[in-house]
Amino acid sequence: MSKAAQKHGGSSAPPGQDDDICPVCKSARYLNPNMRFLVNPTCYHKMCESCVDRIFSQGPAPCPVAGCGRTLRKQRFRRQTFEDLQIEREVDIRRRVSTIFNRREEEFLDLRNWNDYLENVETLTFNLLYNIEVPETEAKLAAYAAQNSDSISRNAALASAEHDSTEAAFAAQKQAARVRREESLREDEEDRQDRLREDREAQERIAQGSTAKVTLKKSTARRKDGAKGAASSGNAGPSAAPAFEIQGLKPVAAPEPTKAYDPFGGLRIRSEYFAQQRSCEHPWLDKAKNDPAIVTGGYDVREYCARAMVEAFAGMGVFVDDEVGTGGGQAAATERAAIAAGTDNRTEDVL
Amino acid sequence: MAVSPMITYEQQSDPSPSDTKQLPLRTTSVSSLQDAAIAATQQAQDFAERLNEETRSKYVKDKKLGEGTYAIVYLGHLSRDPSSLVAIKKIKINTEFRDGLSMDAIREVKYLQELSHPNIIALDAVFSSKNQNLNLVLEYLPLGDLEMLIRDTNGIQYGTAEVKAWMGMLGRAVWFCHENFVLHRDIKPNNLLIGADGEVKLADFGLARSFSDPYRPMTCQVITRWYRPPELLMGARFYSGAVDVWSVGMVFAELILRSPFVPGSTDVHQLEMICEGVGTPAETNWPGVTSLPGYVSFDKRSLGARDRNYFVSRFGTAGPIGVDLLMSMLALDPRKRCTARQVLEHKWWSVEPQPTDKQDLPKKGGGMEKMGEDLKRRGGEVDDSRSERVARKLDFGAR
Repeated sequence: MSKAAQKHGGSSAPPGQDDDICPVCKSARYLNPNMRFLVNPTCYHKMCESCVDRIFSQGPAPCPVAGCGRTLRKQRFRRQTFEDLQIEREVDIRRRVSTIFNRREEEFLDLRNWNDYLENVETLTFNLLYNIEVPETEAKLAAYAAQNSDSISRNAALASAEHDSTEAAFAAQKQAARVRREESLREDEEDRQDRLREDREAQERIAQGSTAKVTLKKSTARRKDGAKGAASSGNAGPSAAPAFEIQGLKPVAAPEPTKAYDPFGGLRIRSEYFAQQRSCEHPWLDKAKNDPAIVTGGYDVREYCARAMVEAFAGMGVFVDDEVGTGGGQAAATERAAIAAGTDNRTEDVL
Repeated sequence: MAVSPMITYEQQSDPSPSDTKQLPLRTTSVSSLQDAAIAATQQAQDFAERLNEETRSKYVKDKKLGEGTYAIVYLGHLSRDPSSLVAIKKIKINTEFRDGLSMDAIREVKYLQELSHPNIIALDAVFSSKNQNLNLVLEYLPLGDLEMLIRDTNGIQYGTAEVKAWMGMLGRAVWFCHENFVLHRDIKPNNLLIGADGEVKLADFGLARSFSDPYRPMTCQVITRWYRPPELLMGARFYSGAVDVWSVGMVFAELILRSPFVPGSTDVHQLEMICEGVGTPAETNWPGVTSLPGYVSFDKRSLGARDRNYFVSRFGTAGPIGVDLLMSMLALDPRKRCTARQVLEHKWWSVEPQPTDKQDLPKKGGGMEKMGEDLKRRGGEVDDSRSERVARKLDFGAR
């Protein structure tokens, strides 16, 4: 753009005219056509690339512009995006604020709260932009960032995921359009080929002296068939691509932080009325403990003892009235079923 | 069942004179009591019928999902809420048990109504319809079963985290059964149904029974052959929860391999395959095995128990600790096999990767037809489509 401005001459000086002289070394574009200007987002003073190299290559140095003197680093110099440096600065500040204040509307209960939040953020941004109470504002920003680091990173992840998905959807759309275009091109080409072939065939038939009427009929019929085929293939093209895109879906809320996996599913079965001993002594059980015919298959008397104990204490501490009163529903029913089953077993024992 | 040793029965002593004096009075009271009892039973019968009618009217049968030799499965819903779906399993009157209920139905009702756990299929209600047909109202699980996911090697991809999630749910179900002294005796991927939220639920309690009393033999003709442990193949009549743990281990192996680990075609072939795949049972690794009634010697190809390197080479994707767990579940000697509780206490659950959340698990729309297929089966039966050779008839009679 500046080159174009140069060609126009000085008569109608465009706003970029000053830019062609570096405010630090005063070298002009006339002498150095490849001159590029860089700014540092600390003070937004403009200088040419060679000045940056010269002054800041040895490490951080004060800004050479008279009256500024802020310490700048070479790494942070970059090309400006907007012609107006004021806008450049505002964009930088807004970007920085929005990475910290990245709450989303769906996180708020109602619109009123959301708007209040937006207004607060805007006040902060305004203060930073116009240098009002900067230290206080910076402190607020830092405090907020420290307190809400979790939600900030979560929302950032969400935003980047959304960005990715829109990108992907866009790419898919483009791909589908390309496929459709190619499909239609191919169809046109096929149509053209068909027509050429038919013409050629008709000419050959006429040359051979066969009846023109029949060939004409045949060719129209074939053309119809061909058209039908083309139509069906044309239908297949778009239907293979996704029919329509659903955009602007409400994103799924970030999942709760997961707890450590419990293989037992949070269920513990332990009796408060008895403790199972390692072995249960009874002469009747001795054979079952030692007989190879019983033990080899894996039969374990301790399981029987555990069951006997559980059944002996089944229903202890269960007060049906209480459970009915509180509507213990399913649990109570299961308990009762268990008791009923237990009594059944006992009657069988007796029989 | 055997008489429990914990209960001592005192001999009835002769009635003392004071008792004899009161005898006439007592008899009258007894007879009046009997009358009252008869009246009460009649009333109870009416009450039972009313209750049954009440339960039956609570549900509406919609359409047939599947029909087998043993049961017909219907899709149904609560009559007051058409959106709440249930599966109604109507048990056919069996030719063998014309005068009563079949063993499968009794077992299923008896154990399912006792067990209430998120990983065990819920039995909501039982009622009888006309012709005294038994109807079980079961939880509706629309997403097919685990076998479908294992077999769809092209459509479904999963990794260790998913295997861990499924195994965790299966482990909890089996542990809960054993904590309540119920042996399932037919654990296989086919019987692990998947709920709408991805939760795996153990179903088909047609072969279940409670833990046996001492000296009370159980049948060894249970558990579908590919998942049957060596002690049952060798005819052991006294066994414990270890038989279910072996089946769980087989499901674990199948989840990793995506094909059955030891698919034997006959009982002897099954033992042979176990010898090859897991190890040959011998006195050294399983004391007393030679005395089992069905012991078959495989000395020619005797390998002893397979060592850890072999398991790592086949099941390396589960990670070294996962291989340890698998090996402890597939120990030949049932006494050395870990219990269902020890399975859940294993440190494999705490190492990376963490199990996938159930809603993120791979799904395959099995649909209602698949649930119909699964429920109509009888315990121990396999789908004909899978392999006709493994279908067999069960012998429930105590030998």
